[in-house]
Amino acid sequence: MTTFTYTLRNLGSATAFLLAMIGPAHAFTACQVTDTGGIDDNSFNQTAWKGVEDAMADFAIDGRFLESQAETDYEANINSLIEGDCDIIITVGFLLGDATQKAARANPDQRFSIVDFAYEPAIPNVLGQVYSTDEAAFLAGYLAAGVSETKILGVFGGINIPPVTIFMDGFVRGVDHYNAQKGASVSVLGWDIDSREGLFTNNFESLDDGRAFAQNLYDEGADIVLPVAGPVGLGSAALADELGTDKLKIIGVDADLYFTDPQKSHVYLTSITKRMDATVRQVIETAMNDTFNGGVLVGSLENGGVDLASFHDLDSAVPQEMKAELDTIREGIIAGTIKVRP
Amino acid sequence: MTAVPAPRIEPGKTRHARITGGILIGLAILTAVVFAPDGTGIATFRLSRPTDALVLPNLVVPAVPFIYAAAAVLAFLGARQFLRGGTRWTSLSMGIGLAVAVAAFLVWATTGKAFSLTGMLQATMVRAVPIALGGLAGVLSERVAVVNIAIEGMLLAGAFTGALVGSLLGGMGGLAAAVAIGGLFGFILAALVVTYRMDQIIAGVVINLLVLGLTSYVSSQVFQEYRYLNNAPVFRAVKVPLLGDIPILGPMFFQQNIFVYGALIMVGVATYYLFHTRMGLRARAVGEHPRAADTLGINVYRTRYINVTLAGMVAGFGGAWFTLGSVGRFDEGMTGGRGYIGLAAMIFGRWHPVGALAAALVFGFADSLQQKLALLQTPIPSEFLAMAPYVATIIVVAGLVGRARPPAADGKPYVKE
Repeated sequence: MTTFTYTLRNLGSATAFLLAMIGPAHAFTACQVTDTGGIDDNSFNQTAWKGVEDAMADFAIDGRFLESQAETDYEANINSLIEGDCDIIITVGFLLGDATQKAARANPDQRFSIVDFAYEPAIPNVLGQVYSTDEAAFLAGYLAAGVSETKILGVFGGINIPPVTIFMDGFVRGVDHYNAQKGASVSVLGWDIDSREGLFTNNFESLDDGRAFAQNLYDEGADIVLPVAGPVGLGSAALADELGTDKLKIIGVDADLYFTDPQKSHVYLTSITKRMDATVRQVIETAMNDTFNGGVLVGSLENGGVDLASFHDLDSAVPQEMKAELDTIREGIIAGTIKVRP
Repeated sequence: MTAVPAPRIEPGKTRHARITGGILIGLAILTAVVFAPDGTGIATFRLSRPTDALVLPNLVVPAVPFIYAAAAVLAFLGARQFLRGGTRWTSLSMGIGLAVAVAAFLVWATTGKAFSLTGMLQATMVRAVPIALGGLAGVLSERVAVVNIAIEGMLLAGAFTGALVGSLLGGMGGLAAAVAIGGLFGFILAALVVTYRMDQIIAGVVINLLVLGLTSYVSSQVFQEYRYLNNAPVFRAVKVPLLGDIPILGPMFFQQNIFVYGALIMVGVATYYLFHTRMGLRARAVGEHPRAADTLGINVYRTRYINVTLAGMVAGFGGAWFTLGSVGRFDEGMTGGRGYIGLAAMIFGRWHPVGALAAALVFGFADSLQQKLALLQTPIPSEFLAMAPYVATIIVVAGLVGRARPPAADGKPYVKE
């Protein structure tokens, strides 16, 4: 049965590939391989693709992408791009780490960049883009702890892998910081920072999982939920829309979901943004200028690679005092006086 | 079952009873040794939400006495089966035994903590709906001997159409369109396998391929640009007066949206149709022995067309649940293989609508249970918890259902002479 599914999913990526190839020819081509979830996931893959689109607009280059519909597609997609004249291949997502490494070693002249992965030791033709997401998530945790009325927060992830759990770590530590500062006892359901276990959908596709998991957390008293599962979180937003934001608010991840999910924009308290578009664009620029080097590019609060989005419609739910405290903490994190990691 | 010759029943039955007894005793030991907590912990189950009309006190269970009592019940059931093998209550004992073991496990996991039992049961029903409807679609078509691999594609088509038409015409319009498109794909499947005698598995896969490719394409190219086409209203939960206020069971069965009620009604109607009407009898005859049915003047082709189209309509309704009954928008591949799980539910449910529903509920229960366990921070890794729904379904089916027999002509094309 699985073979059938994979075959049929590959068909989908082939269609996308053909479509993306249409367009005038340019001197430089940036290619991207997405993770499962699709180029239009309103979140992770879409933000990374926006970086290529920005580069296409700014530098007049070609861009194309291949969607991975299943984990078995990673290698096949990378290999088909290697044959396709790409000046740089950008693979999006931690799960593509092994496939990218294999392809990079087999093709030392091909430049690669991977989002959410850093190789140890570094591979000369691969630039890893990693993000100190926990810095922004720390702010989100502090904010949520202060805004919550039930004093219970919920979090769930897509898969138990570092780029997902780093959000959860930062969030929980932000809540701990709030508790320590205010002598409060706000609790977080769904992630145990010590045992590294928690609530995971184990996929990045089933939107109704997002609804069910948020319902589960809501039933246990959570009034703010942080879904770290790409498009699955859109299902959580549907529940918050139905219940009303006075009962359930959502914190977005990766992109500012207020803009990428405009139909449900009012349910987002804020978003923990990971500016993959900025880093991807920067990587393409270095590749064009021949200043490309293998290694690691870290996005942080300091360089704007990660950030906390505005509160938009829920601005009135955030007290002025809290906003001032968040600014102080942000400065503290950048200056290193507040430790996000132990 | 009655068709099996009498002399062969007894040894097999005794053996089966012995095995059941052995398993139950094993569960008793497991419960007493592994789950036995130390000290005087209590497990708290919340039975109502603050918004309920009838607010119940929390169910507080002292863990140690409960778990030892559960172990004693399991040991009694096991010993009884083991010593008096061949008694009539083998399956019932196994059923009770599994339920007691699950309860003991829950109390163990919840010791010193609390969770919402009502919420879990309500989620059980919600998670079971698409699987039950997928299973029911399978039953309807396999009863006329058409293997329906295409359920996944029909669910996806229903989800997509529900979102698209629902965005333009509202929920009811979307639902009607989803049912219609499901029926259309059912009709296409019937045409491929009945008229053109295409291999049934291949035909099903072709439909799945087609729907996945088409919906993913439109989703990434059109919905991305025109967002208002993918913004359907969601059917909210409707509380049935009085019945909805029953503690625990009320929220599970009577505070749900129309998809849950629809699924329950359809299972009832399908059971009546298949086993209590002339049409249903004919349909089953076509599935068991089409040649004989044909000889008696039943139009085999037409019966297959009708039933497979009906199956498609049921699957289309089930597909609409993903968008109109849950999240209000379509996303690529959002059915996530639920159609295949529905097929499994059909087999576990012995090609019976009620059986398929029961299998779907077992799956839904294990699924919502694993979500609660993840919150309770048990020492079990989350990946193992994620497997729980599948493992539970296999255990229940192997332990309770036993061997099932598909319709005799299942998967075979019929050539009229």
